[in-house]
Amino acid sequence: MTNTAHTIDTALYDAVTDALRAEAKKVLESGTAAAVIGWQAGRRRGSAVPAIVTDPADAEKLIFSPSCVNNLALYLTKAKKEVREKGKLAVVAKGCDMKALAGLMGENQLKRDDVYIIGVACAGVYGPAIRGNAPLDDGTLARKCRECAAELPEGADVSLGTVPRRPAFTPHEAAELARLEAMTPAERWAFWKEHFSRCIRCYACRQVCPFCYCEQCLCDRNRPQAVETTPRPAGNMAWHMVRAMHLAGRCAGCAECERACPMDIPLNLLNRKMAKELKELYGHEAGFQAKEKGPLAEYREDDNQSFIK
Amino acid sequence: MPKIITDQNLRLLIDTLVGEGKRVIGPKAAGTLTLYEPLASAEELSLGELPRRSAKETFFPLCENILTYEKSSSGTTVHDIDPARFPETVLIGARPCDVAAAPVLDAIFSWDFKDEFFLERRRKTTIIGLACTTADDACFCTAVGLSPADTRGSDLFLTPLAGGSYRCDVISDKGEALLAAHAGLFAETDTAEPVSLAEPQLGPLDLDRIKAWLDTHFEDPLWEEIAARCAGCGACAFLCPACHCFDISDEGSEKQGARRKHWDACGFGKFTYHASGHNPREVQPHRYRNRIMHKFKYYHDKFGQRLCTGCGRCIRACPVGIDIAQIIDDINRK
Ligand code: SF4
Ligand code: SF4
Ligand code: SF4
Ligand code: SF4
Ligand code: SF4
Repeated sequence: MTNTAHTIDTALYDAVTDALRAEAKKVLESGTAAAVIGWQAGRRRGSAVPAIVTDPADAEKLIFSPSCVNNLALYLTKAKKEVREKGKLAVVAKGCDMKALAGLMGENQLKRDDVYIIGVACAGVYGPAIRGNAPLDDGTLARKCRECAAELPEGADVSLGTVPRRPAFTPHEAAELARLEAMTPAERWAFWKEHFSRCIRCYACRQVCPFCYCEQCLCDRNRPQAVETTPRPAGNMAWHMVRAMHLAGRCAGCAECERACPMDIPLNLLNRKMAKELKELYGHEAGFQAKEKGPLAEYREDDNQSFIK
Repeated sequence: MPKIITDQNLRLLIDTLVGEGKRVIGPKAAGTLTLYEPLASAEELSLGELPRRSAKETFFPLCENILTYEKSSSGTTVHDIDPARFPETVLIGARPCDVAAAPVLDAIFSWDFKDEFFLERRRKTTIIGLACTTADDACFCTAVGLSPADTRGSDLFLTPLAGGSYRCDVISDKGEALLAAHAGLFAETDTAEPVSLAEPQLGPLDLDRIKAWLDTHFEDPLWEEIAARCAGCGACAFLCPACHCFDISDEGSEKQGARRKHWDACGFGKFTYHASGHNPREVQPHRYRNRIMHKFKYYHDKFGQRLCTGCGRCIRACPVGIDIAQIIDDINRK
């Protein structure tokens, strides 16, 4: 339902686009970076796709719109070595993307001085399969954005735009999490089993995740095989447990995994459940600050051990 | 002379086939998406949306056992899978871009090695295609020589008529046989008024010209430009009706297990990773180049067909917006 009271004013995006083009041109001309990773318009009506711009003249192609959904931090990881080889990179980041950049820095995957971060004020992006010039409202806004408090990234080299006041949206993700938590363990198991049964092991979720940069994924190993690689119940369940555990406390909440999943599996629900557990157990939360160590990467005498039964 | 079948009789046909013990596969709602799945009854048929995954699974499942083994005190027993036990199948309501991929797959699976798993399912399947009445801006069958009413690969072909019935054209002997066996459900017609069919935006491309360019541009900056942003997932290949790469894995314990054939994809970094540690397709642009070359050059060199029917699934699914229609259109203009 379109509700005018819940429509986001999208004038912000045009202002940010203008500022972004000027900034990218400056960055490339001055040699601050060899390439700017941003978004440009795609062929399909209203679509936006990642762009790797090296020529200052191409800075004009860059856009920022509610279709700019991708988390571009992906291109700064070692999984994308062909992009890293271009030299020092500049990257455009929304608030949620900035958390991924901070995470990568904390994990020593990225040095702060090796990247030029162009932060953009963001009032929200479209949910799946919505393109064109649809108003950004209750019906079209991505679920993660309804509860977002990271509309302006902190820690960027430059921040473009100021966030307009956004209407208060009824949270979807929190409601879903509450629904999940109200289930009995058996019901929860059945819930995930049903969802994971649809997984085809295309690994789109892994490939778009900035934190899935491992050169050897446990789930690809076949000598010996650690996790069944075929899309069957046992392997699927194991893959999703490995993914959830491995991302716990690291996940930036960009929801790219969920967006990329062609089988509509609610992966971000699992991510958020894990994030909540980590917060409750260790007081740890992914944010704008690069942290040296995450709770699952270090041991402290006073760690909460209540979950060990 | 085409026949006519009412929607009610089409549903009766499905229930009859299910009643005869046949496997009937058709578009079915599955949560938030639609998939080609076995129908328990005509009620489950859901023709509105394009199924998320293609119809190739009818012959080439996502994952199947090709043998199983078990070990006991008396030794190890290996059980072959007997393709003769695959069920008679009717695939109904399949889109022209899905159906046109069947003859493309036939070529590869019956080439130097005859893949009995694929071929036996293919032999036992009758395909009832259905013309499309809607297309989005990812659909481009018209660009690759097909159309929303293309009958290539179908045995029977349905065209929706004003008023909810379908015109039914007989395309093959298999279709003729199915129709003859259920003749009572069909009526004669010569005055059927079809509803307007879908009109994909992209007009015909010069596929020979595209191939000629590919013949001479194995190395080209284009590959880097497009594919540096490819995330290297298998979404495009897994959803594609014509992609057919698979891997074989042994899974299980020392006591029992199975050898399984399951989908693979050229986007994966490990796809051509050699045991030596060398990978001839080291970076994503090399892998994506293979995808385009395979679809519009290699397959044509070998089998005289193109490995893309313009269904647009890869375009809709690609998490980084890589658009194969845009790419071949760009090459066509070069
Ligand atoms: S989560 Fe926040 S920063 Fe990220 S896209 Fe949504 S509104 Fe923008
Ligand atoms: S797990 Fe998903 S939500 Fe978390 S950082 Fe990775 S892609 Fe983003
Ligand atoms: S993207 Fe979805 S279908 Fe693909 S591996 Fe991940 S969860 Fe499975
Ligand atoms: S390559 Fe893409 S558009 Fe062509 S048949 Fe495959 S999924 Fe469809
Ligand atoms: S083209 Fe898109 S869907 Fe295909 S492998 Fe690359 S990122 Fe994945």
